[in-house]
Amino acid sequence: MDPECSRLLPALCAVLADPRQLVADDTCLEKLLDWFKTVMETESSLQLLQDHPCLMELLSHVLKPQDVSPRVLSFALRLVGIFAAQEDCFQYLQQGELLLGLFGETGALSWAAWSVPSVRSGWIQGLCSLVRHPSALHFLADSGAVDTIFSLQGDPSLFVASAASQLLVHILALAMQGGASGSPTREAAAWPVCAQKIVNHVEESLHSKATPQVTQALNVLTTTFGRCHSPWTRVLWERLSPSVACLFERDPIPAVHSLMDLLLSVASPQELRTRAFSVLLQPLACILKATTQAPGPPGLLDGAADSLLTVDTLLSSKSTCVGLLCQTLAHLEELQMLPQCPSPWPQVPLLGAAVTILRLCDGSADPSSSVGGRLCGTLGGCVRVQRAALDFLGTLSQGMGPLELVLEVFAVLLKTLESPESSPMVLKKAFQATLRWLQNSHKTPSCSDLSADALLFLGELFPILQKRLCSPCWEVRDSALEFLTHLIRHWGGQADFREALRSSEVPAFAHQLLQDPESYVRASAVGAAGQLSTRGLQAAPTSPENPQAQQGLLMDLMHILSTDSEGFPRRAVLRVFTEWLRDGHADVVQDTEWFVATVLQAVSRDLDWEVRVQGLELAQVFLIQAMGQPSLRCPYTVGLPEATSPSPHPEFLQTLCRLPLFEFAFCALLDCDRPVAQKACDLLLFLRDKTSSCSGTQEVGDNPSSASVEAVLQRWREGEQGQLLGDLDPEAMLAILRSLDLEGLQDKLAKSSDHVEKSPQSLLQDMLATVGILEENEADCY
Amino acid sequence: MPEIRVTPLGAGQDVGRSCILVSISGKNVMLDCGMHMGYNDDRRFPDFSYITQSGRLTDFLDCVIISHFHLDHCGALPYFSEMVGYDGPIYMTHPTQAICPILLEDYRKIAVDKKGEANFFTSQMIKDCMKKVVAVHLHQTVQVDDELEIKAYYAGHVLGAAMFQIKVGSESVVYTGDYNMTPDRHLGAAWIDKCRPNLLITESTYATTIRDSKRCRERDFLKKVHETVERGGKVLIPVFALGRAQELCILLETFWERMNLKVPIYFSTGLTEKANHYYKLFITWTNQKIRKTFVQRNMFEFKHIKAFDRTFADNPGPMVVFATPGMLHAGQSLQIFRKWAGNEKNMVIMPGYCVQGTVGHKILSGQRKLEMEGRQVLEVKMQVEYMSFSAHADAKGIMQLVGQAEPESVLLVHGEAKKMEFLRQKIEQEFRVSCYMPANGETVTLPTSPSIPVGISLGLLKREMVQGLLPEAKKPRLLHGTLIMKDSSFRLVSSEQALKELGLAEHQLRFTCRVHLQDTRKEQETALRVYSHLKSTLKDHCVQHLPDGSVTVESILIQAAAHSEDPGTKVLLVSWTYQDEELGSFLTALLKNGLPQAPS
Repeated sequence: MDPECSRLLPALCAVLADPRQLVADDTCLEKLLDWFKTVMETESSLQLLQDHPCLMELLSHVLKPQDVSPRVLSFALRLVGIFAAQEDCFQYLQQGELLLGLFGETGALSWAAWSVPSVRSGWIQGLCSLVRHPSALHFLADSGAVDTIFSLQGDPSLFVASAASQLLVHILALAMQGGASGSPTREAAAWPVCAQKIVNHVEESLHSKATPQVTQALNVLTTTFGRCHSPWTRVLWERLSPSVACLFERDPIPAVHSLMDLLLSVASPQELRTRAFSVLLQPLACILKATTQAPGPPGLLDGAADSLLTVDTLLSSKSTCVGLLCQTLAHLEELQMLPQCPSPWPQVPLLGAAVTILRLCDGSADPSSSVGGRLCGTLGGCVRVQRAALDFLGTLSQGMGPLELVLEVFAVLLKTLESPESSPMVLKKAFQATLRWLQNSHKTPSCSDLSADALLFLGELFPILQKRLCSPCWEVRDSALEFLTHLIRHWGGQADFREALRSSEVPAFAHQLLQDPESYVRASAVGAAGQLSTRGLQAAPTSPENPQAQQGLLMDLMHILSTDSEGFPRRAVLRVFTEWLRDGHADVVQDTEWFVATVLQAVSRDLDWEVRVQGLELAQVFLIQAMGQPSLRCPYTVGLPEATSPSPHPEFLQTLCRLPLFEFAFCALLDCDRPVAQKACDLLLFLRDKTSSCSGTQEVGDNPSSASVEAVLQRWREGEQGQLLGDLDPEAMLAILRSLDLEGLQDKLAKSSDHVEKSPQSLLQDMLATVGILEENEADCY
Repeated sequence: MPEIRVTPLGAGQDVGRSCILVSISGKNVMLDCGMHMGYNDDRRFPDFSYITQSGRLTDFLDCVIISHFHLDHCGALPYFSEMVGYDGPIYMTHPTQAICPILLEDYRKIAVDKKGEANFFTSQMIKDCMKKVVAVHLHQTVQVDDELEIKAYYAGHVLGAAMFQIKVGSESVVYTGDYNMTPDRHLGAAWIDKCRPNLLITESTYATTIRDSKRCRERDFLKKVHETVERGGKVLIPVFALGRAQELCILLETFWERMNLKVPIYFSTGLTEKANHYYKLFITWTNQKIRKTFVQRNMFEFKHIKAFDRTFADNPGPMVVFATPGMLHAGQSLQIFRKWAGNEKNMVIMPGYCVQGTVGHKILSGQRKLEMEGRQVLEVKMQVEYMSFSAHADAKGIMQLVGQAEPESVLLVHGEAKKMEFLRQKIEQEFRVSCYMPANGETVTLPTSPSIPVGISLGLLKREMVQGLLPEAKKPRLLHGTLIMKDSSFRLVSSEQALKELGLAEHQLRFTCRVHLQDTRKEQETALRVYSHLKSTLKDHCVQHLPDGSVTVESILIQAAAHSEDPGTKVLLVSWTYQDEELGSFLTALLKNGLPQAPS
């Protein structure tokens, strides 16, 4: 701990112990704990307590809780936990009876303040920090704390209940790990007392009739097994798996989603997994059964379809039906992305189910049974289910399916995209799912071309996209533009795709949206137009004789950059410009100097610092193209002969002065927004590096590279007042550049500007400074 | 069991960030989704993992409602929708929808600018989040789905702030968000109709305070600014781009006009134009005075307030500058502060709350030597003033709102525990309703008794009318009929109609009872005695002696029989239908008392 903090600590402890003093706010105490945690990572907590008696005084004071606010009590419980995480300090505190006084039955539990949730929470978190060593386990077993934790699992505060379960996981892991040097014993009686207690408790909970309790136990186990796989977790699973298997004998099987998660987190028997999975699939199986005309091919869903209970749930009310379906779809989506996802994965029936659900939602399903008819009524127009089904359908694109089913997928997606009923959010999801299916539909190793079916699909898609680009909802126009940009990025180079796109009016409509009233849409239109132009797919037909349309876009974007009142379109323009410059876009190459000069001029006046940063980025691309990549500053290459980069052509330096790139970068160095200054600093360092071999005799100041940037630039400004900077000669510029302490500035900027604000001294000072004045400004807010 | 459950994830006994989960008849709604400005890590956002213990978050919530654009009410939205993955609808008023993304973007830029935070939401995320927003008008009933509906009421506080009524069937909750019961310079006072919700969730920032009039604070502010510029000093007012800035601009603009002052006033950011644009656009949301004068002059078109250029800070002479951000923790306001702090003629006025660690917080707590980057120490000689302009209802205002809405119970949020406790008692005493104040993470459960609408057949009503009893709205009435539940609706019809509709045959159900009488005479004579006794006792009823010897009173039938074992005892068999249950019981009791002695 640094001396300044040591000096401030006694006063702070006195304030905390004084019930008449208000503590600034919760965040201060939280940050104080954060700081102690950091200190404890490198220092001995025992030493710290001995060096700072004020801490022990504060903690002993807390034992008389009538004098202390619940806030400070909770803080103290957590603080003690942090100290006692080190075993020697734990013993020291235990000798002083402090631990029992705080965490024992006569401690916090007996205080009036125990009714305050934050105190109970502090008690748990304190224990959680403390339980790091065998002594702590003995303490837990002797003090009866484990039983208290069990009861806190049912606490009225969600925070407390959840923390209690987490603590159990933590204790169980420590107890089981600690006991096992070598392979752990199967004999439960030989396990540490804490572990035995917890395992018995989990077992009892698994046998409980109350589903929340079963869920709680399953979640404890999932977290335990999810965290580590080692010999002891295998032993533990062996012991508990019969109780878990028992759950399958109940009707209905309780907490099936948690059960599935558990079975996947542990090396469980395939049979159990399959059973849990089929229960999980029941709702989808019911949907398929209710809508299938003829018995389909046998699939994994068949066995699952016969649960009357599921049918009842699906039909009982609209909200339960929607809830059950959404939960199932979301869970399956998660499962498919897991490495240990259930196998075999019933891709085909699931795909069928997803398509059917979407059809039930859009009203195009053909119900073959009365149940199907009722589902039609319930799900018709249901946006929630539609959203979930589209997400799931998108995920299923990874597995593909038989051709006729894929065609059905495309058909249902087209229907959704076309339907006037589709909400903006549904459309967005449909666009996303479409993109994923298109991307995966050509997953043949030999080619990355679009398949013939996908091309057919595109032919139908573009007219719809065109319509969506004219939607009265900005959300829809924007999603459509984003979708278009993705399409071009992927397939813009392919002849068939280009053909299909060109024969539609999509490019023209996209171009028109550059004037959209909504700034988000203008920004997306800029991105789309930029992509179209990069690929030579712009709206107006371009022939070599008529390059105006193309030039027109450049001018349109320049216009947006200098006049648009919102930051997003301007930022989008710079992204496009930088890409164009990098890729050697024809219009840029035509007159690069004019291009860069015009951009820099517009950007230097911009109020949005992100635009200014991007302007510097563009300048850097320009420099790299002219001067080559920055040299590597790798410490291992110090001894190697340095490959000297060729000096830049004097004419190029002249160009830089004319642009004026130097002036732009110098001004940016003093920008009040840190990222701009940082970027300018990098740029000038690069430039200085590249020009180091240029002859330069004219220095500013006596001591080059040491003057502060601000001072140098100030002097320079004063000296050159009235003179156009573009007229300055490169020599003068290089001299200024060399006299700047750029490394110093870079270091300063690299530290985030709130490093002082975040420092512990600042925190202690602030807490002490607010004492007494709180009453004045209390409880104000925004 | 129908119930309403409320769990604050934030604003439960604190003012950090608002986020309250409400479950009403199985529908789950999140009220506000705020961010805590006092933290730099994940703790600034509510812990959404608590929303659902099992199952996935996105499938759990039916909608999110945002009360107003302050970041402690909407700052976590992009995180929640784009990083946690909420996909459902987000409801807010039109002005909030317009202003919210500007503030989120502004805050994002400060966070990234200042700390270089990478793990923060991006502009793209803000946009994607805003795509999920559905804007609502005041007093418009919006159907979230078949069962859930919401309605917004004017809340004052800031432009676009609203209170929301959430209704499922006959059950409803009102959430106030932040509100103000007294009109201020540019906004009106909150208002709600007598909607009698099951629960009113109200903010309680000033639970124990009766605030002085805002006029005094405004006068004070103008006086201080004026004095400083008079003596040639510069005034820095750090603000966030929207909200208080506009309020203070109107104040200064009017004052400058009235006093004919020439000292320049600057606003430091490009956001101002856009902000003022929105105030102009949503003029109907401002107060009457502004709307009236709008015809002659738009209050938000400022004559005296000009755009600021950073070189102006070095100009000699007095000036007033509004600069962002509001807590002096980054960007332009901090840069100007550094330049001006050393001169005692200058002044900084902090018009809002500052979180720990910021320069704003430090100078407000009286620190005058500030350590800056690179161990530099900045000595603050300029004057430092704090002026609270936050517009919340005070204790009186909160009581007034409770009185207006007439809720069945009240729940306090967005306040400090101690003060809430005081207000809680006051509300319980004055309004005789339960008042709750859960801590974050604690759930309050209120059982409700839903009223189920039942249709009554015309025939049944007419029959009642014939009996001369006209229905009265507030008096409970007893009505006999048959309740038919069909196609999830309820109807009360006459039993004859029910039989007809359901195609059922009628069955008679009779209650029977035996009464033993000491009587040695023949059965017929006993029956006659019973007849005479009842005839004389029940004057209003039709008592008949039938030829077969039995006696009837309305539907009640009485027959006398000999006792099989005891010739000195006769058994009276009494039977009646359920319609005459009362009379039947009465008669049985009467007969059990025995018959009067026959005149000899």
